[in-house]
Amino acid sequence: MDKRFAIKFSGQSGQGINTLGKLLSNAIKNSEYPIFATREYPSLIKGGFASYQIDVSSTQIFSSSKQCNILTSIAKDALNQYIGLVSKDGLILHSVKDFKLNAEDKEYILKNNIKYLFIDTEKIAQESNSPTIMANIVMLGAIWKVIGLDFKVLERVIRKYFSTKKNIDIEAEVRCLKAGYNLELIKDIKIETFPTTKIKGWKKSKILTGNDALALGAISAGCRAYYAYPMTPATSILETLGNTYMETGLIVKQAESEITAVQFAMGSMYMGTRAFTATSGGGFDLMTETISCCGMTETPLVIVLGQRAGSGTGVPTWSGSSDLEVSLKGGHGEFPRCILATSDSEDSYELIQDAFNIAEQYQIPVIVLSEKQIAESLFNIKTLPKPKKILRGLSNNGIERYKITKSGVSQRWIPQKGKKTYLVNSDEHTQDGISTEDSKEITAMSSKRLRKLNTLLKNIPSPEYYGAVKPDIVFVGMGSTKNAVIDAMKILNANIGYLHYKYIYPLRFERILQIHDKGTKIVLIENNQNGELGKLIREQSGLYIQDKLFKFDGRPFFVEDILEYLKK
Amino acid sequence: MKLDINSYNTDAPITWCPGCGNFNIHIALKQALVELKKIPSEVMMSFDIGCNGNGGDKIDGFRVKGLHGRAIPFAVGAHIANRNMTVIADIGDGGCLHEGIDHLIHGIRSNYNITVLIHNNQNFALTTGQITSTTQRGKRMYGFPNGKTEDDINIGELVLSLNPTFYAKGYSGDPQGLVDIIKEGIKHKGFSVIEIMQICPTYNPESNMAFFNEKIKKIEKCTDINKARRYVLDKERIYTGVIYQNKKRREYYSLLKNRKNRKSELVDEVKGYNISNILSKLE
Repeated sequence: MDKRFAIKFSGQSGQGINTLGKLLSNAIKNSEYPIFATREYPSLIKGGFASYQIDVSSTQIFSSSKQCNILTSIAKDALNQYIGLVSKDGLILHSVKDFKLNAEDKEYILKNNIKYLFIDTEKIAQESNSPTIMANIVMLGAIWKVIGLDFKVLERVIRKYFSTKKNIDIEAEVRCLKAGYNLELIKDIKIETFPTTKIKGWKKSKILTGNDALALGAISAGCRAYYAYPMTPATSILETLGNTYMETGLIVKQAESEITAVQFAMGSMYMGTRAFTATSGGGFDLMTETISCCGMTETPLVIVLGQRAGSGTGVPTWSGSSDLEVSLKGGHGEFPRCILATSDSEDSYELIQDAFNIAEQYQIPVIVLSEKQIAESLFNIKTLPKPKKILRGLSNNGIERYKITKSGVSQRWIPQKGKKTYLVNSDEHTQDGISTEDSKEITAMSSKRLRKLNTLLKNIPSPEYYGAVKPDIVFVGMGSTKNAVIDAMKILNANIGYLHYKYIYPLRFERILQIHDKGTKIVLIENNQNGELGKLIREQSGLYIQDKLFKFDGRPFFVEDILEYLKK
Repeated sequence: MKLDINSYNTDAPITWCPGCGNFNIHIALKQALVELKKIPSEVMMSFDIGCNGNGGDKIDGFRVKGLHGRAIPFAVGAHIANRNMTVIADIGDGGCLHEGIDHLIHGIRSNYNITVLIHNNQNFALTTGQITSTTQRGKRMYGFPNGKTEDDINIGELVLSLNPTFYAKGYSGDPQGLVDIIKEGIKHKGFSVIEIMQICPTYNPESNMAFFNEKIKKIEKCTDINKARRYVLDKERIYTGVIYQNKKRREYYSLLKNRKNRKSELVDEVKGYNISNILSKLE
C-alpha cells in the first residue's frame, strides 16, 4: 500500500500562498520525495480563500487527496473553509489572532484527535528582528520541523528564491524560518504518517505544470509563434513562453481578442510556420468560426482549450471537463477535426507535438483539451520524454491546392516567391480553389474533406489501459480522472483497470468493445454532468455505459472519491 | 516572362455589376504591384467577405478568402510568419468598420507592416444594400424605408485619432491616383491604411462620378497630423492622396527585442528545438 501525506497551506488570495506553496514543494522534492501540488483560489485579487496543497508519497503521484494531514492557515475564511478536511490524527497550525472555533469544528477536532495550535507568527518575526511581512516564513519553518526534514534543504531553497528578488533581506527571511523551525510550541509534535522511503537522486527531478509542459512541447515541436488573450486556466502558457522567448526567439503576442488570436494563428500556419493559441471555454466559443473556416480551407490549426467549471463565466478558477462536446461540435458545417486530451505534464508535452503533426499532415484544426487541474497543478516527474519527430506533410510545390485524392489529403505547399500561387477559399471551391455552387463539385469536395477523418483514424493510437490483467471493474475516462484512478490503484489492491482516452476524436473503440464483450463491468468516470465522453463512445460504437461516476462541483476527482466509490 | 498587368490577370469570370468601382481598384492594385516589380508569388492578399472579397479569384498571387471582418488579423498572422511576402488585407467598409473594427484599431496601434485597402462603397452591397456606418444618415436602405437612424463613422477621423503611421485616401474613379497611393502604402514600413471611395452604381447611385468629381481635391503627401485632421473633417471637399505619413514610428516586428539580430523568418525556423536549458531551470 502506498503512503500519502498532504500539507495544505491556506489563506487569502493575495497573501503569497502560491509562492510559499511552490517553495515548500521544491524543498520537499529536493529532500527526495515525489510531490504533487495543486492550487485552489478565488477569481479575485485580494480576499476569499485560497490554498496550496502538496501531496507527498514515496512513489510518483499525480492527484490530490481530499483530506490533508497538516493544515496551515494564515486567514480566517480559509481556516473556516478547510478545518473539516483535516484527516484523523492530523495537525492544524494557524496564525489567525483571536480565532474562535465554532462548536461543530471543535467537536470535529476532538473526535479526530487533531492537534490545534495558534502560532503568533508576527510576534515571532518581530522577535527575530524581521519585518512582520515575513511572518508567513515562520509558518514554513514550523511545518518543516513537524515533517522532520533537513533544515538545510529548505534554507537553500529559500535563499535561492529570494536571491532573485530585489530589495529583500535574505538573512531576515532565514531568521524567521529558523525561529519557526525552533519553535518551543511544536518541538514535540511528530506526525508519524509522513513517508519514510525516499527516491535516491529525486532532487534532480523536475517540477512543472501542465501549462509549462504544453509550452515546452510547442517549443520542441518547432512552434515559432504564440498568440493569446488571457483566460484562466490557459493564461500561464503566455507566461512560460514569454519568460523563455529571449532564448527561443518565439514571437509571443497578446492579441486584442480571442478571435484575433486564432486568426493570427491561422494566418501564420497558412504562411508555413507553426503557431498556436490557447484559451478557455468562453474564448473557445469565439474561436469556433475560425475553426470551421480552417476545416473548409484545409488550413492547419492548433488550439489548446483549458477547461474550467461551468457555462457562462462559470467558476473561473476551478476545474472540470465539460468542454469535450463544444470542441467536437463547435463550428458550423461539417468538416474533419481532431481532439486530444491531456492528463498530466508528460502527455501535455507529447500531445501538443502530436497536435502540430496532425494539424499539418491532415490540414485540419486540432484541439488539445486540458483542465485547470492539469494546467496549473505541479507535476513532479523525473524528466520529460524525448521530443517527437516533426512531421509536416508539406510538398515543395504543387498544381492544385485542393486536388481530390483517395486519402482526402491534398498537396500543401508554403506560399513563397517562385512557387505556384493558389487561392485558399472559405467558400466551397473546386480543386484549384475557385468558388463553386455546382452540386457535383460540392458533393465531391465535402466528401474529400471528410475522408481525411478516416485516413487519420487509421493512425490514431488506441486508448491506453492501466491496471489488472483480469479486472472486475474497468473505469473509462479522459483527462485528469486518470490520475485519481491510478493513484487509488496504488493504495488499494483491488482488481480494477482504467482505460484512458487521450486521442479522443476520431475515436478508436475496439478496445472498449473487447472489454465489454468479456462481460467486465465498465464504469464511465467523468468530471462533468452529462458524460460527454460516454456520449461520444455511444455515438461511435453503439456501446452504452450504464455505470457512471460523475463529479461536477468545480473540484477534480480526489483519490478518496475513487476509494469511496469502490467501497460501495 | 515579362512582368506586366497581365501577369496578375486570371481567367475567373466577372461577377461585379457594370460600372462597379472594383474594376478600377483591381487594375490599380495590379499596376501598383507591377510598378513595384512584385511578381504574383511574392504577394499575399487576405480578402474579406463582400463584393471586394469576390475579387479574390480575379487577381493572381497567394490569396485567401477568409471570414467576414477578419482580413486584417489573418494578414497580420501571415506577415509575422514571413516578412519576405508583401501582405495586403483587402476589406470593405462593412467588414472593416462593423464586424472587425477592433482589428483596424489595434492594427494601427501595433503598426504591423502590412497594407490595408478599405473599399468604402458606403453599404453592404453583396447582401443587396444594407446600412453600414459610412452610409449617409437618413438614406433609405434595405429594411429601412424611412432611412438610416444612426450617425456615421468618418474613417479618416477615426484613423487619425489613433496616431497612425500611414493613411491615404483614393477614389475608384481615379485609378492613376490609386496606383500612386497603393505604391506608397506598400513601400511604407508600418500599418498603411488606404481608404478607397468606391462607386457602387447599384446601391449607392447618389455617390456617382459627378458627385466625386465636384468634391475631390488632390493633395501632396502630408506629414502634419493637424493639417491631415483638417483635410478629413472638411465637409465641402474630399481630399485624396497620402493624407498623413509618419516615418518616425517603427513597425511592430522591428521592435521585438527577441528577434533582434535574427536574420531568418519564422517559416524557416520550424525544426526541433533543444529544451534542456529551459527544463534545467524547472528542477
